[in-house]
Amino acid sequence: MNTTTTPSRIKVITGNAAAAIAAKLARPDVVAAYPITPQTEVIEQISTFHASGEMDCELITVEGENSAMNAVMAASLAGGRVFTASSSWGLVFMYDAVLAVAGARAPVVMVNVNRETPGIIAVSSGQQDMISTRDAGWIFLIAEDCQEVLDLVLQSYRLAEDYDIQLPVMVHYDGFFLSYLSEGVDIPEQETVDRFLSVLKDQPRRTVLTPGQKLGVGSHGILGGYMELRHKHVTAMERSKAKFEEIDKEFASIFGRSYGGQVEEYRCDDADIVLLGSGSMCGTIKSVIDDQREKGVRIGLVKMRMYRPFPHQALVAALKGKKAVGVVDRSLAFGFDGGPIYTELKAFETRLDGAQLVSFIDGIANTDITKTNVEKMIQMTRDLADGKDVPEVTWVSYPDANTKGGK
Amino acid sequence: MAEKKQARLTKVLDYLKHDDPFSKGVAFCPGCGLELLLRFIPRVLGNDIVITGTPSCSAPVLLGQNNQSWHTLSYFGTLMTGAAANATGLARYYRKAGIDNTVVCFNGDGTANDIGFGNLSGAAERNEPFIYICYDNEGYMNTGIQKSGTTPFGATTTTTPYGSVHKGKNLRRMNLGLKMAMNKIPYTATATLSDLEDLARKLLKAKEAKERGFCFLHVFAPCPTGWGADPANTIEICRRAVKTNYFPLWEAENGRIRMTKTVKKPKPVSTYTELMKKFNHMTEADIKILQDDVEYEYCLLGGLSVLEAECQLPVSAKDQGEAS
Repeated sequence: MNTTTTPSRIKVITGNAAAAIAAKLARPDVVAAYPITPQTEVIEQISTFHASGEMDCELITVEGENSAMNAVMAASLAGGRVFTASSSWGLVFMYDAVLAVAGARAPVVMVNVNRETPGIIAVSSGQQDMISTRDAGWIFLIAEDCQEVLDLVLQSYRLAEDYDIQLPVMVHYDGFFLSYLSEGVDIPEQETVDRFLSVLKDQPRRTVLTPGQKLGVGSHGILGGYMELRHKHVTAMERSKAKFEEIDKEFASIFGRSYGGQVEEYRCDDADIVLLGSGSMCGTIKSVIDDQREKGVRIGLVKMRMYRPFPHQALVAALKGKKAVGVVDRSLAFGFDGGPIYTELKAFETRLDGAQLVSFIDGIANTDITKTNVEKMIQMTRDLADGKDVPEVTWVSYPDANTKGGK
Repeated sequence: MAEKKQARLTKVLDYLKHDDPFSKGVAFCPGCGLELLLRFIPRVLGNDIVITGTPSCSAPVLLGQNNQSWHTLSYFGTLMTGAAANATGLARYYRKAGIDNTVVCFNGDGTANDIGFGNLSGAAERNEPFIYICYDNEGYMNTGIQKSGTTPFGATTTTTPYGSVHKGKNLRRMNLGLKMAMNKIPYTATATLSDLEDLARKLLKAKEAKERGFCFLHVFAPCPTGWGADPANTIEICRRAVKTNYFPLWEAENGRIRMTKTVKKPKPVSTYTELMKKFNHMTEADIKILQDDVEYEYCLLGGLSVLEAECQLPVSAKDQGEAS
């Protein structure tokens, strides 16, 4: 870790407060705000900053999430820096605009506080909202703790607004677990953040919608023209992988914190087996790994920080040659034998030099991914590495799923 | 009244101070009311407006669908669900950046009254600084003539067809203009294409009023194709809509309603409905229902205009604007 840190202060704040403070530090021109549990604190904090004059932005207190996304999309296409926040049903309610933002290549930055979405109205944590919107064309980043929420929001502006990228970025963090968890967060000085973001000012100015200029956005695209734009979208997404690594390194040189870019590898170098996780579960997993390492188990964690574009090159590099990989999903994919991230990784199995894969589903609807659960996952992954018969998918906190023949 | 002291423009051509930014020979049906309105707006307001439009009848021209003709305006093709929110985002950013702007959010009745009403209502509540214009052709015409909230009683559409059991729309139309005026926004008005001077004056008034916040224009724009009317009759339909009080012309500043055209002896609504096939099947009893509805709405409007004139507008409402 770089030691040339600039002055900063540590405060004990929630993940939601970290998101709001990061938004304030980024100095957005327009913020659209609409409440939803467990995100509400984000917009409350921003409204407080706005009321006190600490935040000089146009605050649009919209009448629904759909308008929140539409308002920030237009403000972004007109040239503004924007921010909004949502969760679960709110993300779903803005989904048509979420797609439009991506297609319009508007560099919108938002946080999504992960929450379940099925019709059984689970006001609880889960990544199903993220999974259900995964191919909207946004860059999806996932934070592990409150500090990373703040840091990722700042990094997101650099990534979204970069002239070579110009894509919307959504920072995900686990509702209830991170949204309401208070922990020490190093809050950078405004001038440090300004310096970090100032690089964008030196880049060519992106095309924006200005009164009196003969320019339109949201035109009808047809045939070849449409395909060209879609292909450009795909390639910009691909470019964002390396750009994210680059920004992470630069962030480290200024703020003294680095996360490893698309994936963070924790004690993986000599590991025989690895768990692949994302979000707040990673803190627990790291703690179990530390315990098991003391007992001589050669285990590591690969933490997925970037989920879209799918960082398959980084994942393959990190997982290649391991004996077995246990993938922990906090959501479901229907019609597959395993969770969504597991099934996606499965597509690259042949590149993993024989590493075997196993799927774990846990942490749905606020169930804790406890240390005991993580120990179970590690044991099963070790069993797989040892050639034992292990079911392809296990619902760790719901044994009935495993004993009654349910996959 | 202050506007009477201004230099009066009496001929509609005098209002057309700017170029027509649309290409000639556009992809509208013959006699389209929307086309006339769309060309008229930038000629009155100027070519430096930013116009937004949704997938709709305006899309082929405004958004260049299928490359069927175009224009030189600055424009944003929005979703129907969020049209007013998009215009909000534009107007707010321009305000923050100190960029002079006139954002015109141009939508049909399907967007304004139905699918996009939530964000239209929200924009009115927050008194957003832009002009919302609804061209009302009383249905979803671009998708092939389906019923909307402003389709009148009795009218046949492809979702309210004439059948042996159900005969056209068996519901009243909603009064979109009045709904918006009740929000006491700086400016609300109705207009139509038979009274272009009235329309032009209202456009200019809206441009001035949007400095104080949200403005809404409800423009009656016939669709000969969807209504089963002779394309040559578009203007005549507008004229009769006004003369029967089917579509009265009024304006409201901060919710204070004032008639801009009073019809001394309103004609029966049948003189309006007879111009269109969509009302063909209606019996005298059906027409009576429509007539009663028209009279009731007009009575309500008249009552409100008297009432509003007598009520003192609270000072707080005059200078409202969302904290920023």
